[in-house]
Amino acid sequence: MITRSRLLFVLVLGLAVALTFLKVPLASSQGVTLVATQVTGDLPVADPDSTLWGKSSAIFVPLSAQAVAKPMQLDAKVKSVTARALYNGSQLAILVEWADDTQDDAMVRIQDFRDAVAVQFPLAEGQPFFCMGQQGSNVNIWHWKADWQADIAARRDMETLYPNMYVDQYPFADPSAGLAAGPATYIDSNYLPALASDNLFAVAEHLSPVEDVIAGGFGSLTAQPAEAQNVQGYGVWADGKWRVTFSRDLTSQEAEDAQFAAGKVYSIAFAAWDGANGERNGQKSTSQWVSLQFGGPAPKPAAGPAFPAPRAEAGPLAFVPAVVITLLILGLCGAALVVFERSQRK
Amino acid sequence: MNRLPSFFRWLVFAALADWLIGRTLTRSAIFMPKSPPVISVYQALGFAGQVAATLTGLLTLSALGWIAWREWRTRNASVLPPALIGLIAFNFVSLFIALSGWLAVSRHLLTLAVVGTLAGRIGLGADSVSRKIALLLPALAVLSGTLYQTSAAVYQALQYAAPPSFAGALFDAGELLVVLSPIGLWWAHRPGDRGRWWLYAAAALPAIAFSALHVANPAMSGILSIWSIGLTLYLPWPLYAVSLWLAGVTVIASLRRNDPMGRAILLLAAGGYVPQLSTHVFLGLIGLWLLALPKAQPAVIFSSDVGRSPNSSFAIGDSASTT
Repeated sequence: MITRSRLLFVLVLGLAVALTFLKVPLASSQGVTLVATQVTGDLPVADPDSTLWGKSSAIFVPLSAQAVAKPMQLDAKVKSVTARALYNGSQLAILVEWADDTQDDAMVRIQDFRDAVAVQFPLAEGQPFFCMGQQGSNVNIWHWKADWQADIAARRDMETLYPNMYVDQYPFADPSAGLAAGPATYIDSNYLPALASDNLFAVAEHLSPVEDVIAGGFGSLTAQPAEAQNVQGYGVWADGKWRVTFSRDLTSQEAEDAQFAAGKVYSIAFAAWDGANGERNGQKSTSQWVSLQFGGPAPKPAAGPAFPAPRAEAGPLAFVPAVVITLLILGLCGAALVVFERSQRK
Repeated sequence: MNRLPSFFRWLVFAALADWLIGRTLTRSAIFMPKSPPVISVYQALGFAGQVAATLTGLLTLSALGWIAWREWRTRNASVLPPALIGLIAFNFVSLFIALSGWLAVSRHLLTLAVVGTLAGRIGLGADSVSRKIALLLPALAVLSGTLYQTSAAVYQALQYAAPPSFAGALFDAGELLVVLSPIGLWWAHRPGDRGRWWLYAAAALPAIAFSALHVANPAMSGILSIWSIGLTLYLPWPLYAVSLWLAGVTVIASLRRNDPMGRAILLLAAGGYVPQLSTHVFLGLIGLWLLALPKAQPAVIFSSDVGRSPNSSFAIGDSASTT
């Protein structure tokens, strides 16, 4: 029997279907938002210590171990990052900071793993899966790597770490190089296929410590071509803390790049790796999506501490502060209730 | 006799569909590759999830508006009606204008006002200490999450360069409260008849499946926990499993005795912890409002439940007033 209630439900359902078809949103973002502050002049793209970063308010972003796809490392060390963003008429810059006791910026030996951090933007409307996107909904990832940056300053190889090592011969190297022969002196690069095919992992000198990649789900990570690598970055490790900048033009000619415009709101997610903990690839800490909003200019000079001490790495007693705060909250509420009820009785 | 409008019932179903289909099942599609027919199925599920999300949005706005009207009519409440109407207004405004600065703070403060009012009402309304604590746990969890979001907005409005130093601990405390909430609610409202072993067995099924999945293939458990609910899983895993189990017990028992607590828990779960979207924030607020209904929670009936409730003569809101 068609009751008024059921008829109303059918009408509401029909309205919902129509709104879905017309892509009329009813929900708005109400979560934590990273507001990119507009500044004039050049952005401090290679200076994480610049006071200009103080014009942007940092947000605290909790991370958790990637626990969706194997291999995973459930005791991932990076538990949170702080992020802030600036933009001018042409560029966006993001500063990401996190606590890390060790500086791991070499990946020469098989037992070495690097520190790294990544930011991620969806390429389609909506929010795809926060770990690498999903089929039919790609994400653009900017992946800063500590070893790439260290190699820009001074490339290291086995000879760097083992200066007394000896190789009988590199058969395809230029004989005139003598004992200095090595892959760099190969006459025919076809004998170094990764290098010959412009594999970013094999190039002798990286132009940027940031790899600009695309993903559409686990196992689909694809580096953009060398000529499309257009994200710059710079990281500094000091006092148990990494501070890494990312920068890129707001708009890009590349079809698979995220595009930005002032006044708009986008989604951004973060991931971080602690090399000392053996973290690499999917063994990492990730965040959920947070909003990235391109706001107006900073109205006044920033107040408060510019760069606070980062949140310490989580140990086995990581949840103790939360337990203490929880007990504190419960205690305060209990006390308030007791006081209120006593006053009521009187 | 007072009744909750039938759209509250629809809201629970829509929110569950949004949560379990739109934000959970379709996201299992991340595992590739899939054949074209399977992709078609997922696309259909994705559309169904989007419709459910839109339907949830419509119904949450309707429910908030109704609650505001109801609070004003029956309680002559001074905080909830304007705060709820303000939240609805902010929701529509922010569809066109990205809120920032003090406007964003205002929106969070309105949410805080609603959560604080409902938490106070819950704390003062429950008839025993154990019930007070149990009902306050979810309220405090929502309060912690809202404070976490509000503090970030306040720091941004104040142009502070640094994020709130307490944000991490606050976030973690909220997650702990989320996990403790079902345990507390079960303790205070556990089914009296211990012979109802089947209730515990039935409620254990999703928890067992969830735990087994976590051990064998953590994909789905990870998606459910992190993406759909917003929890970061920093606590020992068994705690989450026990919490899920007891949540199931409490929900089933509450639904059987027509106690709105069951629906409240479902709405709070569907809203998630520290939600990013206004609709999910509203689900949490409506869930809290249901928890804050006067002490005879079983008294409240949904309009479609008429005739099924043995306690249908009780009223919601102010028992002195009727509509």
